Amino acid sequence: MSGSPTDFLKGVVGKRVIVRLTSGVDYRGILSCLDGYMNIALEQTEEHVNGIVTNRYGDAFIRGNNGGYRSRR
Amino acid sequence: MATQILPLELIDRCIGSHIWVIMKSDREFTGTLLGFDDFVNMVLEDVTEYETTPQGRKKTQLAQTLLNGNNICMLIPGSAGPDS
Amino acid sequence: MDPSSTGIQEPFDLIRLSLSERVFVKLRGDRELTGILHAYDGHMNLILSDAEETIMIVDPVDGNFEGQGTVKVAKRKMEMLFVRGDGVILVSPPSRT
Repeated sequence: MSGSPTDFLKGVVGKRVIVRLTSGVDYRGILSCLDGYMNIALEQTEEHVNGIVTNRYGDAFIRGNNGGYRSRR
Repeated sequence: MATQILPLELIDRCIGSHIWVIMKSDREFTGTLLGFDDFVNMVLEDVTEYETTPQGRKKTQLAQTLLNGNNICMLIPGSAGPDS
Repeated sequence: MDPSSTGIQEPFDLIRLSLSERVFVKLRGDRELTGILHAYDGHMNLILSDAEETIMIVDPVDGNFEGQGTVKVAKRKMEMLFVRGDGVILVSPPSRT
């Protein structure tokens, strides 16, 4: 099945993504890699709260259980 | 023995069609279901996100989106969502 | 796949490359930490030394949802700290920003 979550994630590595946590906080950056727990490493990360940039990180590790969903841009 | 449809079989039949996803939180999504896995993580396309806040409902358009199955509460096959 | 010159192939590589460096950690409950990373495991349990914790305490003003209430910031320092992994939201090596 080509539309499965695993295939989707393989397809978005290296692309610009939005990771939205269950809290509503967004992390926007380039997806450098991820693992089976949906731990995520992002590059050039911007943290957005209510549409306002609140932090910038060169690299960021996001722990898997916090991830709500992500979408490609 | 009566034929029984397993819940995931129902979702499997929805691939390619419109689906309404209600999360555990005050968030809902509608879009075309592209696929899902054993954890019911889902990939949707042409997504509308609805966020219910004290100020009213906020709509956001998203492209391809992966939803973490952990946060999903209900799935309504074939529905265009809260606006329908 | 491009490991982008840093040799990061899985998310934990980013943490591994930050050992002995000062890292920024965001925790649930509006808490933030910086400290020298000494050890971690697969749960993201962390050992930090020379750590400083920042806690944001928001007192919402009645009838105002947009968080215009007063924000109190509390800080404290700790020599050596164990952080339980389930509270971790994000880890970043701040030196590279």
